Amino acid sequence: MSRVVFSTWRDEFVDNRGKPSDQWSESGFKLPETYDGDTKSKAFIGWDGVAIFDEDIDAVELASQYAAQYQEYSEACGRCAPGRWGGRILYDLLDKIARGEGTHDDVAHLKEVSETMMATSKCEIGKTVPKPILDLMEHYKEQFDTCIDAQQPSKHYGGDTSYIAKVTAPCTDMCPAHVDIPAYIEGVRDMIFTDSLAATRQTMPLAHTCGRVCPHPCEDACRRANLDEPISIMELKRLGADYETDHALPWQHPFEVQPPRNDGKKVAIIGAGPAGLTAAYYLGIQGIHVDIFEELPVNGGEVAVGVPEYRMPVDKYNKDIQLVLDLPTVHIHNNHRVDAERLKEIDAEYDATLLAFGTRLSKKVRAANENPKMKGYWGAIAMLDKVNLWNKYGIGSPASNELKDKVVVCVGGGFTSMDVVRCSIREGAKKVIMLYRRDEKTIIRNTTYEEYHEAVEEGVEFIFHSAIEEIFDDGEKITKLKVNRFELVPDPDGGRPQLKKIEGADFEIECDYLIPAVSQSADLQLLPEEWNIELTSWNTILTNGRDFMSSRPGLFAAGDCEYGPMTIVNAVGQARRAASVISRYIYDGKVSLTDEEIMEDHLNKLKVYDKNEKITGWMPGLPRAVSEKLSVEERKTNNKEVNLGFTGEEAIAEAERCMRCYYISMVAV
Amino acid sequence: MSVHNSINTGKPITVTIDGKVCKSTFGKTILQIARENDIYIPTMCYLSKVQPIGSCRMCVVNVEGVDGMILSCQEKAVDGAVITTNNSALFHERQNIMKLYDVNHPLECGVCDKSGECDLQNKTMEFDVDTQEFTARDQHRPVENWGHVSYDPALCIMCEKCVRVSTEITGDEALKVKFGGYGSTIINVKQEKNYASLGEAAAVCPVGALVSTAFKYTSNAWELTKIPSACPHCGGGCQMYYEVKRDRIYRVTNEFEFSTLCGAGRFGFDYANEGVSKDPAAFNAAVEAFKNADSVVFAPQISNEEAMILQKLKEKYGFKLVSHEARAYQKFMAAYSTVTGKHLYNGDLKTLSDSQAVIVLGIRINNDSPTVKYHINMASKWQRARVIYMHPMEDSEIQNIVTQFIKYEVGSEEGVAALLAHTLLEGNEDVTKTLREYLDDLDIGNLSAECNVGEEELDALKKSLLKKRGFSLVVGSDLYMHPRAEQIAKLVALLETYAGFNVICVPPAGNAMGVSLICDLDDSAEGKTVGYNVKGDFTLSALGDGDLDMPALNQQEGTLTTVDKRVVPMHVALPYGGYVLNDIANALGIHAKYTIDYTPMLPVAKGFKKTVFDALDEYFDATGTEHRGYLLASQKVPVKRTLDEIEEIEAFDGAVVYRCDPVEQFSPFTAKSTLLKDEPVMLGSTQFAAAAKLQDGDTITFEIDGISFERLFKIDTEMKGTIALNPTFDMGLSASLLSSYRFSRLVFRKTNNENIGNNDE
Repeated sequence: MSRVVFSTWRDEFVDNRGKPSDQWSESGFKLPETYDGDTKSKAFIGWDGVAIFDEDIDAVELASQYAAQYQEYSEACGRCAPGRWGGRILYDLLDKIARGEGTHDDVAHLKEVSETMMATSKCEIGKTVPKPILDLMEHYKEQFDTCIDAQQPSKHYGGDTSYIAKVTAPCTDMCPAHVDIPAYIEGVRDMIFTDSLAATRQTMPLAHTCGRVCPHPCEDACRRANLDEPISIMELKRLGADYETDHALPWQHPFEVQPPRNDGKKVAIIGAGPAGLTAAYYLGIQGIHVDIFEELPVNGGEVAVGVPEYRMPVDKYNKDIQLVLDLPTVHIHNNHRVDAERLKEIDAEYDATLLAFGTRLSKKVRAANENPKMKGYWGAIAMLDKVNLWNKYGIGSPASNELKDKVVVCVGGGFTSMDVVRCSIREGAKKVIMLYRRDEKTIIRNTTYEEYHEAVEEGVEFIFHSAIEEIFDDGEKITKLKVNRFELVPDPDGGRPQLKKIEGADFEIECDYLIPAVSQSADLQLLPEEWNIELTSWNTILTNGRDFMSSRPGLFAAGDCEYGPMTIVNAVGQARRAASVISRYIYDGKVSLTDEEIMEDHLNKLKVYDKNEKITGWMPGLPRAVSEKLSVEERKTNNKEVNLGFTGEEAIAEAERCMRCYYISMVAV
Repeated sequence: MSVHNSINTGKPITVTIDGKVCKSTFGKTILQIARENDIYIPTMCYLSKVQPIGSCRMCVVNVEGVDGMILSCQEKAVDGAVITTNNSALFHERQNIMKLYDVNHPLECGVCDKSGECDLQNKTMEFDVDTQEFTARDQHRPVENWGHVSYDPALCIMCEKCVRVSTEITGDEALKVKFGGYGSTIINVKQEKNYASLGEAAAVCPVGALVSTAFKYTSNAWELTKIPSACPHCGGGCQMYYEVKRDRIYRVTNEFEFSTLCGAGRFGFDYANEGVSKDPAAFNAAVEAFKNADSVVFAPQISNEEAMILQKLKEKYGFKLVSHEARAYQKFMAAYSTVTGKHLYNGDLKTLSDSQAVIVLGIRINNDSPTVKYHINMASKWQRARVIYMHPMEDSEIQNIVTQFIKYEVGSEEGVAALLAHTLLEGNEDVTKTLREYLDDLDIGNLSAECNVGEEELDALKKSLLKKRGFSLVVGSDLYMHPRAEQIAKLVALLETYAGFNVICVPPAGNAMGVSLICDLDDSAEGKTVGYNVKGDFTLSALGDGDLDMPALNQQEGTLTTVDKRVVPMHVALPYGGYVLNDIANALGIHAKYTIDYTPMLPVAKGFKKTVFDALDEYFDATGTEHRGYLLASQKVPVKRTLDEIEEIEAFDGAVVYRCDPVEQFSPFTAKSTLLKDEPVMLGSTQFAAAAKLQDGDTITFEIDGISFERLFKIDTEMKGTIALNPTFDMGLSASLLSSYRFSRLVFRKTNNENIGNNDE
């Protein structure tokens, strides 16, 4: 809810002009009334309408500046006739009116050009830019008329109003890393895969990884779903990265790598997982000196030792890692465990420190007689460490020594548990059972459709609505489990349905291994007690979620240690923002956000995607491409990558389904 | 197992366009189906041979039940769709788009090369745009000269066709869109390369923005006569038009909508033997020379019909008929066919461009055959094809296409072919027992070591083909001139017969393929020789430096045989006043009124048809199907699959040179073309220079096959390894006398002025 003078945002119409303030109606949207801190917004204008916060707004200049911003944002335009010429004419005519040189004919031409842009532009930015301009021309007509009739400049023309704009897209907004998704898809459509990759790497260095194992929240905000099915966004990301690797090209950086600054400033990063690597990349590419401290002998964090080879081949992940480590100012120190004493030293030595470690403590299942030391009780993280260190790096010994011909029960419901059961199959387990408290639909929502179905195909037995009550052992090892069954009972008060134990439905499972994968927590022993670092209620490092500085100045946190066990793309998004803040902090000691970041947060709050919007101008019913997978027989006994990726034909067809839903928004302050 | 096809391409569908019921298949766009059915939808940026661009938005249509305007060039038609291609609202939007295109477009049609064949002019008229009601502030955008082509951004409508051609077709990837809204423009990111392939990018320009620099301001389009023909340079036989005015070729154009012409075809046109008149004395001497000849030696720059005449003369006079490259190719294909049972390879270019995996062996593809390289590039772009390039020399020019480079030792082609057959036929149940035994008996470890091709490289190759469909193999001249060519041919042929490969044995330059099919060739010349475009005791030359002048190929009627196994017609672009080969044949008792009287007499046993020359088609239909001449018919050949032991590989130590012309050079005729200015220098890497003890700028002399070369040596920093490129295009009448394996050890003498007398290398 926002207090506005006037708003046409997303089909609402609020007009409080001339009304006494107690009779004002509010906007139903979280519009950016306040830009940042004490700075008030005068207006917000974007793809879906315009909202005015200041009664003294200069609507003519607002319209012309919006058209000007459309001109500025070259990345999204200049590629179709209506957008390229139409956008320029919009601006020229609006500015002519704002200068006091316009005519009423210009207004007519503006409307005509606007209609053509809205009907035929290639992407949404061209189709939507005229909308708020037409709104202003209609509802603030008297300001336009005054400029034309009196041949005078608009009321604050060339004054001190600042206009801050940002281009976004529903998918980009939903992506925690805010990847410029339409741009990388366009690179595929254009078959200029290097451009595709460079577009991804603007905000996401792990293109191989997030082209393979991202749960793609973006696809839930794909406008194409309003028409038929969402674009297969995630898989299209992989093409650029594969192209670079396949053709042995030099690294395709999104920006020129800056020479080392050598100004004595340096940043420490604890942990070489997705968050640490991302922060190192965006700091390093600016020439800032970075030291990464990694406890393990191998790099990549949980994606390296947690995500199995068949989902994320390590040679591909190593490319993403090498991209970062090849930067001249990035240095990594392996086998370097940071404890509280060492962290104090680092904190004293470096200008800023980013904690980017993961959550590697497996939580208990909370059953009776639960003894983590009992043979057969194997935490998911430890189990996946063993599997991956052997399969990917030849470190340790094969987990099949333990699991072959055994019965394995996993308790979970998220990605980690899927990795556990599917790895168990590959390590030769006789029978693999997944116990999950909730239902099939929820497990799919927590992971992906593909992940769940592939596990079923490989022979994993899923038992839903179940939980372990008691663990039995023979004093040496686990022998069996007593499992309760539950049912969903609707809440009479209309709340979330409750799980209720079904009396008399208990059953037992004889098993050799119980692998809890219910959740993980962060090992916070490295935080010196005397720092009194503020923590969240779920025991992670507390930040404000915008600048990622902890309660201790100069100590930042991003990724799982900040958020709790979450996705790679979440870690990337947080770390990139943290790197940006750190890049300024080490010079001025201040925590600040750029206009781009402030706008990013405003738009995220406002929500860019509108699932009820009706799509026009696109042919419905074009099938979403689905990449080929190895068949069950071809995959279940080995670690070959399951997903073969798109064929060229599929990739191009899929890229052509993308509607390029770029939007431009602007705040006047 | 069913073939993975998640997007249902090929499923039959029925759509209604403007009331007409049209049957087609899913995967085709609305525009494609409209064109199949002769329904017109206006476009400005559509180019049939590339993927939809979608920049102009002119092709919008209405679909029943779908709100808004649908982009017909990009949107696939779904079953049951009812489509309207024209109504007043659509006309209005298209008219508005034309109004926008016309904003600030310079009114300089009077001096614009494109005037008269300009899409902007045509569509402006079509949509009745006769006034300009609004304008935008203009920007200063100077003309840029990029060498072969020039770019005028003020005229550019940003349709992006040129960029698509550069990316999807020629693969030079020189042109890019520089984004920037109204200021967006086309840039050439590889200006220093001056790619002649950009001629094709200029060809597709719908306006006068991208033009041939040399043609600019020389003629109005409508004053030129288009003479359809086929390009004789590389053996591709690509479709082309000579555009002629007053006995001068001004430029070469092509049916760019469907076919493509490389830089040699487009810019290498002024090689005619001009100003020739009949010299009866020389003619009589020629007739006598033929009568007395023990051998006739000829270059492959010759039509099928002339080859037929030479064959007939051989049959009458019994001389040896020699054409080295064609002979090598002939023997290679003869051996090849004993395995496949068919006299031609099975491959074609369309199938190549549809492949998901392409293996290239024994050919420097970017130099030897632009059209084949373009089709590999299409496969790379459209199918994400794995491209495995096997050659002793890496080629940085095709890094964007190649996904795996397998370097092998010079001379080891037989071993490499055996390794390839072994790898790709592993587990193949169709191979005969004898063949299986042969393959199993190969000493892979030893071969791998000898060829320097690691087993892990072959494993990677095999792994990359996993689950791929549509395999192509492209082989070339390195194999034909190899001492073990016939054995290599059989090994390669196994992949056609057993592994389902679409194999293309790229013919050597010129019309070597036609010659190899038409003439009964001999291995070597003896005694008195008549040379045709080759130095002989008596020399017939279209280069104008022989004992009797002959017409160049752009002064002749006749046909060529192409890499796509097609017989295509050429027409006379420029007049010729002298005698032709047919005149000599007539004097020697082989009678025909015109050379083209031989067209229907080409050997049916080799797949030619009895079609007379004037009945040969020369067009592409609206859906892009080629109707040019005819395709050779495949003929059955007795099968005899006997393979020899792999011979020990001869080591090529030290500095080695590779016979290879610059990218758009193929012969003395391209060398004569003034727009193709390539220096005949020897190019080698720094490593080569060190191995050969050469410095950049040294001049050396050496001999290959008895032909002496004098070469300026230059270091090319993009090159690697100890093999240098030695061109032959400047060697005139000697060029076609080279007959040995393309690689040779370099034994040379430095002849730098300052070094004379103190160099014993």
